[in-house]
Amino acid sequence: MLYPDTVEAEVLVHKPWFVATMFGIVLLLFMAFNLSATSFGELMRPVIGEPSISGLYGRFAIAFAIALIFTLNVVLIGFAPLKLQIGIVWLELLLLFIAFFETFHLSLPFIREKLPFLISQGVITTLYVSAISIVIASVIAVAGAVAKLSNNGFAYAIATFYTSFFRGLPLLMQVYLIYLGLPQLGFVINAVPAGILALSLCYGAYMTEIFRSGIQSIDRGQWEASRSMGFGFSLTMRRIILPQALPVIIPPTGNQFISMLKDSSLVSVIGVWELMFLARTLGQKTFQHMEMLISAAVIYWILSICLELIQSRIEQHYRRSKVR
Amino acid sequence: MTFWNRRQVTMAALALVLGACPAHAGAVLDRVTAAGTLKVATDANWAPQSFMNANNELDGFDVDVAKAIGEHLGVKVEFVTPGWDIITAGNWAGRWDMHVGSMTPTKKRAEIFDFPAVYYYTPAAVAVHKDSMAKTLADLDGKVVGATSTSTFEAYAKKDLTLDAAGAPPFEYKLNPKEVRSYENSTTAFDDLRLGDGVRLDAVVSSLPSILDAEKAGYPIRQVGDPVFYEPLAIAIEHGDAELSAKLADAVKAMKEDGTLSKLSEKWYGQDYSKAN
Repeated sequence: MLYPDTVEAEVLVHKPWFVATMFGIVLLLFMAFNLSATSFGELMRPVIGEPSISGLYGRFAIAFAIALIFTLNVVLIGFAPLKLQIGIVWLELLLLFIAFFETFHLSLPFIREKLPFLISQGVITTLYVSAISIVIASVIAVAGAVAKLSNNGFAYAIATFYTSFFRGLPLLMQVYLIYLGLPQLGFVINAVPAGILALSLCYGAYMTEIFRSGIQSIDRGQWEASRSMGFGFSLTMRRIILPQALPVIIPPTGNQFISMLKDSSLVSVIGVWELMFLARTLGQKTFQHMEMLISAAVIYWILSICLELIQSRIEQHYRRSKVR
Repeated sequence: MTFWNRRQVTMAALALVLGACPAHAGAVLDRVTAAGTLKVATDANWAPQSFMNANNELDGFDVDVAKAIGEHLGVKVEFVTPGWDIITAGNWAGRWDMHVGSMTPTKKRAEIFDFPAVYYYTPAAVAVHKDSMAKTLADLDGKVVGATSTSTFEAYAKKDLTLDAAGAPPFEYKLNPKEVRSYENSTTAFDDLRLGDGVRLDAVVSSLPSILDAEKAGYPIRQVGDPVFYEPLAIAIEHGDAELSAKLADAVKAMKEDGTLSKLSEKWYGQDYSKAN
């Protein structure tokens, strides 16, 4: 069920057929890889003897152990209450990720040395470029959505042309076109404004469509009822339609903000010293770019998590009426 | 308004509208001396020519040369780091005044840029994985070769290289690859080469200094054969400012004569690349 109901049923991960299938699949999966040369093999040394000569038996024993740990883990998590389950699974996935990056043998002192600059120059630039673009894009989106829903031929034509054009071109190309193209018209624009302009126009086009569909999702009867009470367009929009449309609009808009935060990295091609640019540049001389790329990746992730949390708070706010 | 007056106004309006039209003589130089700063475009990802050093500042041979030129002109130097394709697209529109970033002067580029002075020559070489069996360049016939896209190295691998600038040493094509793969910069090409001999690439054409640097940083690669060509590298400015061009040519000439360039080359490459061979 996609919502918690009151019908008692056995947990899926405790059903014998499911546990057996899971065990079998994991066993077969890990039989397919030879892990005897890794640290797993070393751990299993007491059971399988010298890992390198353990052959098929070694492979089976390692896969069996892994399948056992995995299945036991899942079954045990099944007993925990929902909140704890979510926490444990998150933590385990995170640990697996860290273990994965551990295999890159990254130089931590180098990361520590570069991190302040990465944040003071890169993150700040990324944040203000995205923040300004988000504000401008939202304004464009509201105007575009109203224009697309209007009966005015000019407004409709301009809005549809705009969304079609800016949704239809790759963002990278828009960055180039604005930065290199506008000076041809005699309007010399610097790298940061050019990047903000490209991001705002592109995301404004996507968000126009989100806002339009959100407004359209409100039943026509609401407009008619509001009109019959003598409300004008502006009042209807502000008091009747938008408050109902916002819960529909907010989740995809949050998506757009997260995606814009990351797409602001495309501005690095015109030489803006934001996070992506520094990530590609700082480790270059000493060939430690893996360190910088992964640090930047983690920073982007943390920033996105912040946006996710804000989004879920707002969604909770609008879900108040649906809580039982 | 007399006829002449009107025409002047029209011209001024046209100039405003077109904006990007070539600067008239001395305009860039005037702007530089008026502002007291010379804006230099360079790459931030092209060690040891230009890169971010431990203090997070731009550093390198090209950067030092640009600073030395600024000293000669008596102005401060300021760096901007647009992508290579943005620089070579031309139409700088006053965003920066000159480019010191190891640009090879070719006739095609000369349609967009003036090259006041060649300031050094880089040997280009071929690198292979340490496990490669190749002993000479002929062993790489029919293999997959990587190079920075739109660079002279890529042009050489594709047998499409024209070094037609004055003073460019002659060369011949010794490489017959099956396929040439393009990369954003030489490091990404080295990254693919390090995966193993022939995993993604069999060889990379790049500048000898960057190959040696990568080797020093622990990349499992080595140079194969002699340098394939010597590339003259010049300062680039936009057309239309003969005075700036002359000033830059003088500055580089003076730096060659008083040994500044040789010293900088020794500092960054351990060898004097300010003369061919």
